[in-house]
Amino acid sequence: MAAASSSDSDSCRAESNEANSKWLDAHYDPLANIHTFSACLALADLHGDGEYKLVVGDLGPGGQQPRLKVLKGPTVLTESPLPALPAAAATFLMDQHEPRTPALALASGPCVYVYKNLRPYFKFSLPQLPPNPLEQDLWNQAKEDRIDPLTLKEMLEGIREKAEVPLSVQSLRFLQLELSEMEAFVNQHKSKAIRRQTVITTMSTLKKSLAEEDAVSCLVLGTESKELLVLDSEAFTILAKMSLPSVPVFLEVSGQFDVEFRLAAACRNGNIYVLRRDSKRPKYCIELSAQPVGLVRVHKVLVVGSTQDSLHGFTHKGKRLWTVQMPAAILTMNLLEQCSRGLQAVMAGLANREVRIYHDKTLLNVIRTPDAVTSLCFGRYGREDNTLIMTTRGGGLIIKILKRTAVFVEGGGEVGPPPAQATKLNVPRKTRLYVDQTLREREAGTAMHRTFQTDLYLLRLRAARAYVQALESSLSPVSATAREPLKLHAVVQGLGPTFKLTLHLQNTSTARPILGLLICFLYNEALYALPRAFFKVLDPSP
Amino acid sequence: MGLLDRLSALLGLKKKEVNVLCLGLDNSGKTTIINKLKPSNAQSQDIVPTIGFSIEKFKSSSLSFTVFDMSGQGRYRNLWEHYYKDGQAIIFVIDSSDRLRMVVAKEELDTLLSHPDIKHRRIPILFFANKMDLRDAVTSIKVSQLLCLENIKDKPWHICASDAIKGEGLQEGVDWLQDQIQAVKT
Repeated sequence: MAAASSSDSDSCRAESNEANSKWLDAHYDPLANIHTFSACLALADLHGDGEYKLVVGDLGPGGQQPRLKVLKGPTVLTESPLPALPAAAATFLMDQHEPRTPALALASGPCVYVYKNLRPYFKFSLPQLPPNPLEQDLWNQAKEDRIDPLTLKEMLEGIREKAEVPLSVQSLRFLQLELSEMEAFVNQHKSKAIRRQTVITTMSTLKKSLAEEDAVSCLVLGTESKELLVLDSEAFTILAKMSLPSVPVFLEVSGQFDVEFRLAAACRNGNIYVLRRDSKRPKYCIELSAQPVGLVRVHKVLVVGSTQDSLHGFTHKGKRLWTVQMPAAILTMNLLEQCSRGLQAVMAGLANREVRIYHDKTLLNVIRTPDAVTSLCFGRYGREDNTLIMTTRGGGLIIKILKRTAVFVEGGGEVGPPPAQATKLNVPRKTRLYVDQTLREREAGTAMHRTFQTDLYLLRLRAARAYVQALESSLSPVSATAREPLKLHAVVQGLGPTFKLTLHLQNTSTARPILGLLICFLYNEALYALPRAFFKVLDPSP
Repeated sequence: MGLLDRLSALLGLKKKEVNVLCLGLDNSGKTTIINKLKPSNAQSQDIVPTIGFSIEKFKSSSLSFTVFDMSGQGRYRNLWEHYYKDGQAIIFVIDSSDRLRMVVAKEELDTLLSHPDIKHRRIPILFFANKMDLRDAVTSIKVSQLLCLENIKDKPWHICASDAIKGEGLQEGVDWLQDQIQAVKT
């Protein structure tokens, strides 16, 4: 409670009110129909004219029609359909040729589609994984019609349970089929070679040899087969291959490929693995208590957002530096880098329709948005250096521009005690009556005590008498003895001449049925008419 | 002022000198507008982004203008205020086709108008809603709405739609500016 209220007061302080807000509202379109994640947003000067465009790998309204959209200013410049749902978008410089227009890479399924000047330029497919030799053998036999579909299915199921190499897509589809469809499927597919394909889950860029803004970059891909690949951007050959214990979902890259680099990969098993140059396996592992929802590197600190609504800061060696609790679930995270002031901060889009900006542990700014933000991107857009682009859950587009004069100040006012401490306790007031009563008690205390004790004796006597009387006439609805564990109460429902009388009878023993119970009603026959005034209880089990 | 100067001024041979500040965001067309106002033999062919600022001169029918052509890039915008004292008029150029940065232009205009050197002086402001030839340009009326120009009560202002490459609309604006300056002088 105290933590929650103190964070509330934090937000009040950092909250930018309308008059001295740090942001200019450049554009808000709730009907922009952009459904995407932070990973599928990229900013780049695609035509080399100094006007930066926004590249969006749009999933479509229901995740049905993936499209590549390029936005110029507030409007969509071009739109083209994609073959599969995009996993990530990145822009990078491929070569040293002039003019230095960056290429756009879009990871989708097992392929990376590279666009140059917004035209399809190259399609890189991931190398196929070797299939299981046993599985290969089985399909070869099926090809020569030596085994029937049923045995094939049994053998494949055996492989699926035991073998460490998973089955191919073809075999998995075969296993799903009904008996009647198997024959046709085998005839159709037996001549095809079996293939095992993997899918790209995340993508990032890594500078090749120079750390400059306009240096050539490599692509870093994370795949569903728990591998990280570094691609050469000119020849599209694999420069390095690293394996991970789990499937990477977020990737953070720093350094240069030829010199020294660090890859931090947040994986589906809730761990973050840090890899370095020349290490085929992870060097450090950070174990989180919950699944990561975002990974951002700020200078030398890895900031991780977890599903437990908190941000954690880690060093590259896996030491936890700090933790900040959020007031709501984190939907997305990204980096805010203000080059002119050398500020790097983390933005987190929360489910309570806020975007919070943190520098290490300190909250710098809170932006309230009309809808929950699902993707965030900060950088040069159009001709403005500090532009924040947000897309909302309902598909809206919000563009904000940071004021030239805006400075993010850490902290702000002093942190006081939580507001709960200022509320007064609800202590009842004492009146004159109470004081007079205490005076009387002080004067005649002995008499009061004696009288009360006498009354108590009488009360006990009367209670015992009534209890014995009730036992004698068996009037109590709950049986007292352990030998007969029963509970009974009657409910009358209805108005008018007929009403419904329901008896709730309950056996309260742990495991002992009561057999041979009978119920008999006693009533005035002149007033009521009962169809059955005497019957047997059917199910006396506990 | 020497005797000769006074004589020539009296005869109307030498024109009066006016200092004008040309402000606006980067890529709005400030240098192009100034270039187009110069006599055709003095115009330069290539316009490159201004670094810092440059001083240009052009003449209208009765005045001689000295223009501080400021760079509009974000990092140079803090230079503007150093020249506010010298300005006797302001030309504010807006890229009508850049809807997104209209808010930035409004913000810069607001800081300009609330600056102590400008706030209490009644100096004329001429707005150019430039790049009218572009397809996604908005009209000058829309620009004046977006910039809330109707809130400027204590300064004479005027907005012109212009196309600085062809030179359309520039003369109208300069004529208005000249009238205003002469009205202030007399």
